[in-house]
Amino acid sequence: MAGGGEGLGGGAKQKRGGTGKRKVKKRVGFRLDMTPLVDITFLLLTFFMLTTSMITPQTMEMKIPPQLEEKIEVKESELLTIRIRDDGKLFFNMGTDAPQPVKINELRKVVIDQNVSLRNRCIVVLKASSQVAYGAAVAVLDLLNAVEPEITERLRQNGIDKRERKFTVAPYEKTDAEEVAGL
Amino acid sequence: MSKIKKKRVGFVLDMTPLVDITFLLLTFFMFTAKFKSQEESSERFVIKRPQTVADTAKVPEKDLVTIKIAVDTVSRDTAWYYSMLNEQDRTRLAAQMVALKFPEATPTTTQFKITDTTWLQTFVKESRTINQQAIFAIDADQNIKYRWVEHVMTAFRRYNATSFNFVTDKKQ
Repeated sequence: MAGGGEGLGGGAKQKRGGTGKRKVKKRVGFRLDMTPLVDITFLLLTFFMLTTSMITPQTMEMKIPPQLEEKIEVKESELLTIRIRDDGKLFFNMGTDAPQPVKINELRKVVIDQNVSLRNRCIVVLKASSQVAYGAAVAVLDLLNAVEPEITERLRQNGIDKRERKFTVAPYEKTDAEEVAGL
Repeated sequence: MSKIKKKRVGFVLDMTPLVDITFLLLTFFMFTAKFKSQEESSERFVIKRPQTVADTAKVPEKDLVTIKIAVDTVSRDTAWYYSMLNEQDRTRLAAQMVALKFPEATPTTTQFKITDTTWLQTFVKESRTINQQAIFAIDADQNIKYRWVEHVMTAFRRYNATSFNFVTDKKQ
């Protein structure tokens, strides 16, 4: 590229020089010092490499039921309620049973068993206290997502090919707080 | 035994392939780099997203409405930070908010700081009107009280945006 530049310069000189005989300089082994260019390029490369974040966030898709005017009646016996108390402790209960404390890794088995034994009709409701950390609620949601493949598989073994997931979030009412208080 | 030592004068290494690759990488990183908007670079919070194992979906790059929830490191107050991704939507939202007299709204605002639920609902409603295909994403810090997320969900429910996303990070 620089060779082109030199060539042009030579041309201009020739014009100015007029008729006089000129020695055409032989340009053998012409070299351009690339060091500064490489320096800057490396500097920029390092900058961009260090500032780029390669870890892109992911998303957890959520579907909540729309706001409805009339109440929908569900069978209490098919309702699996998971509550998260103010202090972050988890409780679960089926229908009208009394809530019982549960660890997050034990919840996995409960959710799978209930979904399989109720043959797709189980409705999971998450009630998280408004004081609890958002991360704790997401941990439960993540668990519910993570068990889906296993539920589908177990249902298939029981002769149900289609998995219909029923899940909702509900507000944590005063009555919920009373039910899990002191447990 | 006499050995003729070759004199290594003017040793030259061909740097062309090196420079080629370097330029290639440089161009790649320059094009993939995403720059923060002015509001984003002036925000005084860092969001520590909840970590999950089951999620694989990526955050959509079109029609996205992001609601960040975080605690300001200086004033210690929690707020919703509302922004629309599409340039066109963004200008329309800003214009709409100036018309509705949202405090501190200017035609060039890209990220709105909301502190009360009435305004939050207005924003959700306006976004739904501006872009019917809008995809909502809640990008909240994992230590935020769940109540903040609940308020957003109430607003979504009210304006029928019942399908939305939680932004998460992969568990390492």
